[in-house]
Amino acid sequence: MNNKGIDRQTLEELEQTAVRELGEASDIGAIEELRVKYLGRKGSLTLSLRSIGSLPAGERPAMGNLINEIKGKLSGIYSARLEEISANIGDPEPFPGDHALPGRVFSQGGLHVLTRVTRDIKEIFFRMGYSLAEGPDVELDYYNFEALNFPEDHPSRDSQDTFYVNRDILLRTQTSPVQVRYMEKNDPPLRIISPGRVYRNETPDPSHAAEFHQIEGLYVDRNVSLADLRNDVTFFIHSFFGPDVKVRFRPHFFPFTEPSAEVDMECFGCRGEGCSICQKTGWIEIMGAGMVHPNVFKYAGYDPDSVTGFAFGMGIDRIAMLKYGIDDIRRFLANDIRFLGQFWSGSWAGVQD
Amino acid sequence: MKVSINWLKKYVDIEESPEALASDLTMFGLNVEGVEDLGADYSGVVFGKVVECGKHPAADKLSVCKVDVGGAKLLDIVCGAPNVRVGLSVAVAVDGAVLKDGFKIKKTKLRGEPSEGMICSETELGIGTDSGGIMELDLELDAGADLSGLLGDDDVILDIEVTPNRPDQLSHLGIAREIAALYKRKLREPETFALEPEEVYGIDIEDPEDCPRFSAAFIDNVTIVPSPEWMQKLLLSAGVKPISNIVDVTNFVLMELGQPLHAYDRDRLAGESIGVRRGHDNETIITLDETERKIDPDVLVIKDQDGSVGIAGIMGGADTEVSDKTTRILLESAAFGPRTIRRSSQSLKLDTEASYRFERGSDVSGTVKALERACWLIREIKAGIPETACRDFVAKPEAVEKTKITLRIAQANRLMGTHLDGDDLSSLLERLALDCEVSEDEVIVIVPGFRRDLKEEVDIIEEVARLYGYENIGREEYLRGNVFSKISTVDKRNEEVRSFLASRGFAEVITSSFMNMEDPDRMGWSESDFRSRPIRLENPLSVQQSAMRTSLIPGMLRVISRNAPAEQEGIRIFEMGKVFLPVNGGESLPDEQVHLTAMLSRTAVPAQWIDQSREVDYFDMKGELEYLLDRCAVRSELQIQRNKEEEPAYIYNWLTKGKIIAISGVIPSSVLKNYEIESPVHFFTAIMDVMHGAGFEEPRYSRLSPYPQVKRDLCVVAQERVTFADIRRVIEKRAKFLESIRLFDYYQGEALGEGRRSYTFSLGFRSRDNTLDDGAVDKVIQKVLNSLQRELQVTLRRME
Ligand SMILES: [Zn+2]
Repeated sequence: MNNKGIDRQTLEELEQTAVRELGEASDIGAIEELRVKYLGRKGSLTLSLRSIGSLPAGERPAMGNLINEIKGKLSGIYSARLEEISANIGDPEPFPGDHALPGRVFSQGGLHVLTRVTRDIKEIFFRMGYSLAEGPDVELDYYNFEALNFPEDHPSRDSQDTFYVNRDILLRTQTSPVQVRYMEKNDPPLRIISPGRVYRNETPDPSHAAEFHQIEGLYVDRNVSLADLRNDVTFFIHSFFGPDVKVRFRPHFFPFTEPSAEVDMECFGCRGEGCSICQKTGWIEIMGAGMVHPNVFKYAGYDPDSVTGFAFGMGIDRIAMLKYGIDDIRRFLANDIRFLGQFWSGSWAGVQD
Repeated sequence: MKVSINWLKKYVDIEESPEALASDLTMFGLNVEGVEDLGADYSGVVFGKVVECGKHPAADKLSVCKVDVGGAKLLDIVCGAPNVRVGLSVAVAVDGAVLKDGFKIKKTKLRGEPSEGMICSETELGIGTDSGGIMELDLELDAGADLSGLLGDDDVILDIEVTPNRPDQLSHLGIAREIAALYKRKLREPETFALEPEEVYGIDIEDPEDCPRFSAAFIDNVTIVPSPEWMQKLLLSAGVKPISNIVDVTNFVLMELGQPLHAYDRDRLAGESIGVRRGHDNETIITLDETERKIDPDVLVIKDQDGSVGIAGIMGGADTEVSDKTTRILLESAAFGPRTIRRSSQSLKLDTEASYRFERGSDVSGTVKALERACWLIREIKAGIPETACRDFVAKPEAVEKTKITLRIAQANRLMGTHLDGDDLSSLLERLALDCEVSEDEVIVIVPGFRRDLKEEVDIIEEVARLYGYENIGREEYLRGNVFSKISTVDKRNEEVRSFLASRGFAEVITSSFMNMEDPDRMGWSESDFRSRPIRLENPLSVQQSAMRTSLIPGMLRVISRNAPAEQEGIRIFEMGKVFLPVNGGESLPDEQVHLTAMLSRTAVPAQWIDQSREVDYFDMKGELEYLLDRCAVRSELQIQRNKEEEPAYIYNWLTKGKIIAISGVIPSSVLKNYEIESPVHFFTAIMDVMHGAGFEEPRYSRLSPYPQVKRDLCVVAQERVTFADIRRVIEKRAKFLESIRLFDYYQGEALGEGRRSYTFSLGFRSRDNTLDDGAVDKVIQKVLNSLQRELQVTLRRME
């Protein structure tokens, strides 16, 4: 072992060189290299410290102190330089032009308004404890009519102009067939909603479409009553349209519920005073509802004496039209990009007036 | 159903304003859709006589008339009706009159000729639907006589939506009964002329189901003249045109009691018997409206000894119709099977007021009462003398029996959430003329014939709820069952995919479920392709909407085509929706699969000051699909099919566990042409049901290594038959410590020689246990290279 390397003078020269080199280093890589060279496990100072043992015992403490002193000094310089250099990293040249230029633009996209409204409706019912159920669009006459207590050859079928595939198969005219399908496969208690597309053989006009969307609700348990129906439906309307909206239930007729009701909410256009939106009545019809008819329970294999339930159904397109003031139901499936874009963000607000 | 409030007042007291009555009825379940004040509409409408009538000098279709309306001077009126002529009695709206919908009559000039009023048609007066010409009045009044009394008499008409289960509400008495129940008032039954059923006439019913009951009354000494003014007024306000005294009585009873009646000229009926049978094939009959109609066995007819004389429950025949010469009448009051009449009406494509009521179910127990009412009216207006003996044949006795329904008190309260006792229930029900017997737990309800819609307990509960008032049913008993919301993972993930694509800049579209039967051809699908054999509709709206879609692509191409003129630089759209795949040749319900299709066209990046725009290419779409599959944690393998014969040149199938999870590619230009699209369209379709089965694994956590990553670049050369996927698979299989792999360069060209490609990867290695040293990484790389050489003949690229 060469003990020349650890005399005082050599150490001082080493110190001077290291300080100079650290000062000159301009990037993190170089600084790191110097750290390894001088301060690392195999660095000069560490090696010097190790070779102290070869010195006479009397010189060892003084030399040790010196080495540690240099080491501390270099460590300090190293840290300071590292910080200095790091602080300068990634600080690019400022852009020399107009800083108000627009940022990079990406393709715009977004969800269809019906998807948005359906989600909002589902979300409220999920919070209330409803689960999701789905059924087919192409349906058996049995589920769409017979099991829902629509007698064959009965005028109650007239209100729903039906597309037929053949004698037994049709396009569902309502989401209600899901009720019986679900009850056949599940035991009570149950509480479901079922959104989906429905079909009516109607000549389209601004308020009628051959294809539109409904959401069905069903709650069956041992003692479900009309009071529960009023509570859930009102809860929904208040959650969706606001807590101050007045809601009323009018007796009505549906073959698959009894008692049945149509649910109106106070017109938001005029707050009940009467305007063109509500055709001067002050009320807007929002859904049909009622207590599940015992015959429907029988078709589903439930005992009408042991359970009761309610069902309701509403048009998603209609609710979207009400919510956003859309004037023509045919807009939804026409997919004009100028229409779709209005429901994505503020920059698609349409033509300026 | 249009009902006159004046008419209703004959049976029940009404103090409420029409508006209040309408709103109370609506809340009682009789939805009032319109309130029309007739009186106001007819002020200024007077009786007039056309004195002169000549051609308008400037317009062929107009006539210039002088009309006597009782003033000193004849009025000049320009009239466009084809039936205007001298001597006609007409309704004239004079200057200042206000007609329907607020239309105001003013003195004016029409094509240069002065016109001081208007000669009215039925539609202009709002009393009929005949707008073909002016209304010809059969009355003789003084010229200038005010017609507003006759036409309107300050009556108010309610337009009530009657639901199909309530045929009893298709009559003024039925509505009055509801009003009596609503306001707890007395109902006044109309006066009748007592008839005695006797075997005075033959009746022959082929099938009791078609005709459970047939009753007939006989009127002698008939004189046919117009009915009295009060009857005409009421009929007009209910929207029925007066014809003659006998016909008006039958219509009056129809509107009053809801029972259709038909009057036959008894002298024109052959033999002393009448009957009901199904029609025969090839039989025809001329109906009252002078139309010859083909009869078939779906049609129910009335027959006399010689043949059919009318269509049962729908319309009488012309041969036996009441005419000016009629002196003896047979008045029919029957009950027909609702289904039979419905089939009959559908088969003939003919609906009438009568068929409308029979389809919904008439009151079988009320046929004789209707005759008694008609006879009373006939006597009252001196139209003839009714015989006391009538004929009443009940073919189906159970149809006239009263029914009893047991209402369990507890069940009523359970369903409604109320606390009513037996007496509460019976006092509510008795308001609707339902007799009740109350016991401790039950109420026995006796249902009258006019309420055959009440069949079971729940029907009665509905009536109770309605009478009690929906608004009075409280919520204090509110209970929550032991039901919790299950999260539907399929729905949640579908929604996540939608949101993901939306934030990738795709516009969600929702297109029709229908397809055009020309789509298979336009899409170039072969005839044997299942997509060319969709579920077809029997009664489509149009050819374009005649089948259920088997693919989302045609509908989305239509969206692109339709949006082409819009100034859209790039097109990025997606749809998630059902397709309907035929099962069992379309005889069973189809397989409804949820597909996700995305399409990209035109520019990939919008042109902007900082970046150049660029056309969409294959790798834009591939990147989107790969990102999506990765997002959904789907591992898949790309299978590339080269299509030498036709477009597209390549088809890309994405497989997971041998199942196709997605397909992608470019829409052939021949197809684009068929949909009038000019720019190339790249697309992918993912089959969501397969995605749900194969992907969406829950994320897993793995411990993070504290040791540094070591980076290496690897550049290899491969023959053409080897793909990137092959190379990556070998690297991933062989490279121990591999943490990341990214292709950062690809080259093919002369420098490498024919049929050779080079791939440069950036690989990242990391160990969980220590810092990797060069030697360890070198060993791994060598192993990878050996495998690439052995399995794929892929070699390290020599750097020159
Ligand atoms: Zn309003």
